[in-house]
Amino acid sequence: MFDDYEIMSTIEMVKNENLDVRAVTMGINLFDCVSHDLSVFKEKIRNKIISHAADLVQVCDTVGEKYGITVVNKRISISPIALVGAPFSSDQMVEIAHELNDIAKQVNIDFIGGFSALVEKGMANGDKSLIAALPRALAETQRVCASVNVATTKAGINMDAVLLMARAIKEAAALTAEDDGIASAKLCVFANIPEDMPFMAGAYLGVGVADAVINVGVSGPGVIKQAIQRNLKDKHLSLGQIAEIIKRTACKVTRVGELIGREVAQNLGIKFGVVDLSLAPTSTVGDSIGEIFQALGLTHIGVPGSTAALAMLNDAVKKGGAFASSHVGGLSGAFIPVSEDLNIAEAAHKGYLTIEKLEAMTCVCSVGLDMVPIPGDITEECLAGIIADEMAIGMINAKTTATRLIPVPGKKAGDKVYFGGLLGEARVMAVPHSDLKDPFVTFGGRIPAPIHSLKN
Amino acid sequence: MNKLIITVLGKDRPGIISKVSAILYENNCNLENVNQMILQNQFAGFFFVEPPSGVTRNQLQKIFLERTGDSGLTIHVSSLGTNGSPEEESPTEIFLITTIGPDQKGLVARFSSIIASFNANIINLKAVFKGGSDPNANVMSYQVAISSDVDASAMFKALKEKACELNLDIRIQHKNIFDAINKI
Repeated sequence: MFDDYEIMSTIEMVKNENLDVRAVTMGINLFDCVSHDLSVFKEKIRNKIISHAADLVQVCDTVGEKYGITVVNKRISISPIALVGAPFSSDQMVEIAHELNDIAKQVNIDFIGGFSALVEKGMANGDKSLIAALPRALAETQRVCASVNVATTKAGINMDAVLLMARAIKEAAALTAEDDGIASAKLCVFANIPEDMPFMAGAYLGVGVADAVINVGVSGPGVIKQAIQRNLKDKHLSLGQIAEIIKRTACKVTRVGELIGREVAQNLGIKFGVVDLSLAPTSTVGDSIGEIFQALGLTHIGVPGSTAALAMLNDAVKKGGAFASSHVGGLSGAFIPVSEDLNIAEAAHKGYLTIEKLEAMTCVCSVGLDMVPIPGDITEECLAGIIADEMAIGMINAKTTATRLIPVPGKKAGDKVYFGGLLGEARVMAVPHSDLKDPFVTFGGRIPAPIHSLKN
Repeated sequence: MNKLIITVLGKDRPGIISKVSAILYENNCNLENVNQMILQNQFAGFFFVEPPSGVTRNQLQKIFLERTGDSGLTIHVSSLGTNGSPEEESPTEIFLITTIGPDQKGLVARFSSIIASFNANIINLKAVFKGGSDPNANVMSYQVAISSDVDASAMFKALKEKACELNLDIRIQHKNIFDAINKI
């Protein structure tokens, strides 16, 4: 039997604190669909994805209903298309993107991730074709997400790929100028990309993973914020005590994700993979990472103290989650996506959060420069420089970092942009010196792996 | 062997369990199971015992009457028959059904009648009606065991419709979610 507090606090988490499971993502291996014939390849991937995922949405809804916890997003991640589609040209890659978009519609999911390449140490034919296809593939489809891993701690940074990605991002944005460059919002550039991440736009299924697997992304920034506020209401707590509250709350949130993920996997007859412990916001009041900073006594995310607060938050979430789940993976930490979090977007608009501070904060959180609208006239060199800087943080610190930058065509710092849905809205952030064309990024080649890559 | 159940009701105070169990001990009754609860200031206790051969329900009832007649406790001894253990039941799933909202007469009667009409079994009910404007001060929480032959979705629909009609917020969640969050 449960006592009154246990019942009411559990109901409160769902009712008023926006506790939900943010994403249940089915990973599907496509290596057995490989063919040199495009039509055969397309038919095989269609059959395989639909045979596994036809019931995904319905099963997630049924399990969510049973526990009274909404599974907000049901998604699919697939083997990197640059690998399984290695023989194809860039035009053929665009056709594959259309096929994937169509399959996503058929199984009623909002995003399919894995239009991806892993090029940290060099590019093969499939990688080059995929990167060349990115602008059209993302502009002409709605549900396909792409990611390219350009750096790892073991390999260094592929600067040729960084520059190519800067071009691809600008082109993708230009092709969707009337929608504020939304194609770039579906494209991530990564260092140390995790192979089991359930969150978009970076989700793909790694090469060393099972044939099909269910990965779960939990959420719960609202729950964490409320727990902090509730405990601070009538007493003083030290930061160590607050970290403990965050840890315990993250543990509860994670157990919800694990329970639902395992049941979805069992009902679908496939393996359960990992719980990604990330705190993922939505553009809803009360479901915000930014609001946690305010609960911790900061005026807004971005002011001095923010990096320390984020470091504490990220670490406490990991500790609580690691205790709660037997298999943790993905990004696991706090997201700070500018346009997807109403409060973070507001902090940026009011000038509390700048792109430089955002970059500093990515040293201690789980992602990187995520969903950041920037001026459309930024030079390729400057954009590549921002990407390279972010990749360097990931490479040196042996952690995942990423960029999802949207150079919004025709818009300047302070202009409003609207992406819609979970992708949210924000003001274009100022990028100092965005007109520079410094040759550093055009030297090409690889920035060598750091000394601590020599661990063997 | 006939098993007996002794039901004890009365205003709560120190010494009730001690008194009852002492009498049982003195009369060589083997205590198998005890449970008690306190609602507001009232004590309710259940003692399952196996009496020694020759001791009847009536004899034990008489002893309790003599020894506790002036205690203000109502003590009733009844026979369980030869088999006191619960009957074998088909596997069930346990759901918590919680309503939050304004107090009205007949709430428990209305909801429990829906649950009964679908042949689902309420295994625990907690209801607090304090009135006032705090929604959390007026809460009913049913733990309901639902066997596979119960049309659970139809029952949940009927309960949700009733809650909507009575302006109550209703939450229906499988027990496991409460375990996951609260029991580590």
